[in-house]
Amino acid sequence: MKKTIFAISLVALLAAAPTMAQVDLSNYVALGDNMTAGFASASMMDWYQDRSYPAVLARQAGVDDFEQPYISEPGIGPIFELVSLAPVPVIQPVGLLPGLPTNAEYPDIYNNLGIPTATLYDMIFQTGDITNLLQGNFDTVFFDIVLRNGINTALEQAIGMQPSFMTVWIGSNDVLPAVLAGTPIDGVTMTPVEFFGGLYGNAVGALATNTTADIVLINVPYVTDVPFVTSVDPFVDIPGLGRWYLMADTGPLTDDDFVTLGGGALIALGYGLPGGPPLPDNMNLFTGDPGVVLRAAEVDLINVQVDGYNAAIDQTASAFGYPVFDVNALFADLASGAYVPMYGGTTLSTQFLLGGIFSYDGIHPQHIGYALMADELIQFINAEYGSEIPRVDMAEVLFEGDWQSPVVSPAKAKETIMSAEAFQQLYELFPPKLDQAPRIRRPSADRPEFSGRDLRRKPESQP
Amino acid sequence: MIAKNRGRALLVAAMVLVAPALGWGSGFALFEVGGRQAGMAGTMVAVGDDLSTLFWNPAGAAFQTDEGFQVLFGATLLWPEQSIYGSSPYPGEVYQADQVKQTFFPPHIFVGIPVNDRLEVSFAFYAPFGLGTEWEDDFFGNYVSKKSDLMVFDLGVSMAYQLSENFAFGIGVDYMVATIELTKNIGLINPYDQRLTDVAEATLKGEGINSDWAWNAGILWKMGGGFSFGASYRSEFTINGSGKASFTQIPTGYADFDGLLGTFFPFDGKVPIEATIAFPDFWNVGLSWQNEKWTVSGQYGVMGWSVYESLPIIFPENPEFSSVRVENWEDAPQYRVGVEFRATQHWDLRIGYLVDETPQPAWGMSPLLADGDREAYMGGLSYHTDRFRFDIAYEHVDLETRSTEGQSPDGFDGTYEGQSPLLHMSITLKF
Repeated sequence: MKKTIFAISLVALLAAAPTMAQVDLSNYVALGDNMTAGFASASMMDWYQDRSYPAVLARQAGVDDFEQPYISEPGIGPIFELVSLAPVPVIQPVGLLPGLPTNAEYPDIYNNLGIPTATLYDMIFQTGDITNLLQGNFDTVFFDIVLRNGINTALEQAIGMQPSFMTVWIGSNDVLPAVLAGTPIDGVTMTPVEFFGGLYGNAVGALATNTTADIVLINVPYVTDVPFVTSVDPFVDIPGLGRWYLMADTGPLTDDDFVTLGGGALIALGYGLPGGPPLPDNMNLFTGDPGVVLRAAEVDLINVQVDGYNAAIDQTASAFGYPVFDVNALFADLASGAYVPMYGGTTLSTQFLLGGIFSYDGIHPQHIGYALMADELIQFINAEYGSEIPRVDMAEVLFEGDWQSPVVSPAKAKETIMSAEAFQQLYELFPPKLDQAPRIRRPSADRPEFSGRDLRRKPESQP
Repeated sequence: MIAKNRGRALLVAAMVLVAPALGWGSGFALFEVGGRQAGMAGTMVAVGDDLSTLFWNPAGAAFQTDEGFQVLFGATLLWPEQSIYGSSPYPGEVYQADQVKQTFFPPHIFVGIPVNDRLEVSFAFYAPFGLGTEWEDDFFGNYVSKKSDLMVFDLGVSMAYQLSENFAFGIGVDYMVATIELTKNIGLINPYDQRLTDVAEATLKGEGINSDWAWNAGILWKMGGGFSFGASYRSEFTINGSGKASFTQIPTGYADFDGLLGTFFPFDGKVPIEATIAFPDFWNVGLSWQNEKWTVSGQYGVMGWSVYESLPIIFPENPEFSSVRVENWEDAPQYRVGVEFRATQHWDLRIGYLVDETPQPAWGMSPLLADGDREAYMGGLSYHTDRFRFDIAYEHVDLETRSTEGQSPDGFDGTYEGQSPLLHMSITLKF
């Protein structure tokens, strides 16, 4: 009886306080991809997962049971480290053996459903089975680690959680293969905009219909705002010869063209230089070898694709009344210098290695970048919902240092910005999808069940 | 091959040193010109009967010709304290830091020479602006300011003339000499461990004589019935200073990172700098009443701090380090009231109270200078004979507790609080 009265008065109390606009993160689910998983330096690893933007957001909101699919050091794939900085930076994966899942026994759905490598399509349709990974198959490793049961997709699991609050940041991997392959081809290295728009509406529609969560949608940044694309000049200054524009197999580069970090290893071998073989501009469709040059027109193509995705995200958001956190603008402003984060007289930038925002893969942030993003997201949520989630203590983040003091001895075997091995690892993680067919589900034997979760609800098809 | 933007990023990170330091009048003004005037909150504009009037109202000296040749000298001891309580994102909610406890003792010397019974010529030496800040070791704001010292000395000569028994005016010229030394650390993200790391200590130091001329004028009118009215003006001036900057490398333990930094920072030797600091004018009006035993005086003044719009620091040979810090200060009023009681033939007692509004916008507060409205209480006493006087006053200044409200352009946000005891002492000798 006492309990009932207490419950009733609690309800009355809650009902009487509608002006206290707040947002409830007690059951927060983050849907997304690498960025949501806290992927950094080409790896999913516990130290960075613990500092992913959803984890930081949850912590700031006072949530202490935000569960994630942790992977032990050195992560999957083995995390990149800076081996030496000068004369030319050398970045290598740490060791060859990957880390292992350490939270696979967690009996419920993870709060962080960010799956590295996932496209929007994958988020809706792809399942993962931990037994597949345990049998030594790494082909769908991230799906297996995050989704585990072999039955339900990320979207279904999110619905099964009946979250109070959600963030959805998906779409970066729908264009990332175009960047890593140096080759934008609609339908091959990039998801067609119409396809993306339709899927996005369906996915968000399913969340709207089947959950009561407050949902923040996060749009897609321009790939040209990341150091993987902007760090290598399209020319070299050769003493006695002057400025030499690198030669690609499609002709010399211009000031408007970009060489990706994947090209660093080739330039070190003489590619693109006088007398050397030309740099591969585009992906070889027969061998699958990547190109390392993004021409100005290709960059435009990719960014127009991103604009198309973001228009679809905006459209979906306004149809369902969800706010959009404009991370595209945030990264564009960071890249252009229109926004220079200043902490106690020191600044951060998107500059590779020295800027403090991006990790050694040049594509994903590291803990400082994720903390910055979380801080911006917190300010957005507070403005949007009238909440008072405390901002991130950036001093703690800036002075923390990364996951290890580098013990890797400077083995200057290859003088290159990103070693060929490192680039290969990255490229293989985000391969061009030559078709969009859903992957075959594993047999259902030994699948873990999430007790008390109804995961059979299917996404509604229409917004 | 690397780094289209290396220079730019390092450069932004290295943005250079900036404005001066914590004074104990609004902005970085000082009013430490004598033990007697301090005891009555500096309300000398309409009193002007000792040599501290050379600061407050030069006309006052015209009524002191019958004192003969006189010298007033002394110093003020200041022990300022200031703390910051941080807020997120930087330096964080749990962060708290204090300034290193320092003692300052700006001196003052005034000499009055009667030419005849209406004309007095005077010389002054004192510090109208100055002081310093120094924060504790490992201070999170080291990248804004670690230590700063600024002093402006006024070498003044003035004349005061008594036009009638009740009315005098005074005018003077001031040669202002500034000394400045500012130190901060430069921090960058170490690419090896992704940690904010101190890579250099930068010191800016004025060299040679950095100076400018200023002037002052005032009137004092004894209206009768014990009432006096005074008004005075001290002009603005601008120090266009030059000096040298030195960058001392702090090894990070990563030789190639240190080497890379060495290609950017001029670690060997000193490089020239130029800086411009505008100092405010200061006008005052005052009204006093006195009889045999009592003096009661009130005063209103405004410091024209709106001249302090920005602080450019130019590196003529290293333009990538040049910076302009926006300050946008405002004119700041101050209100003073003081009472003197001449208790016996040899002993006087006095008390005073003042409110001194800050010229600094809240967002502009930084480890270099975090100002706020000031409220001060003081009491003092004097012992005097015909040819000798000793003045002492104790003053307590409370600095308004004030937050940057998350708007600090340095990204160093929090709430500052501070206070200072001051002990003013001076001796007057008459010959």
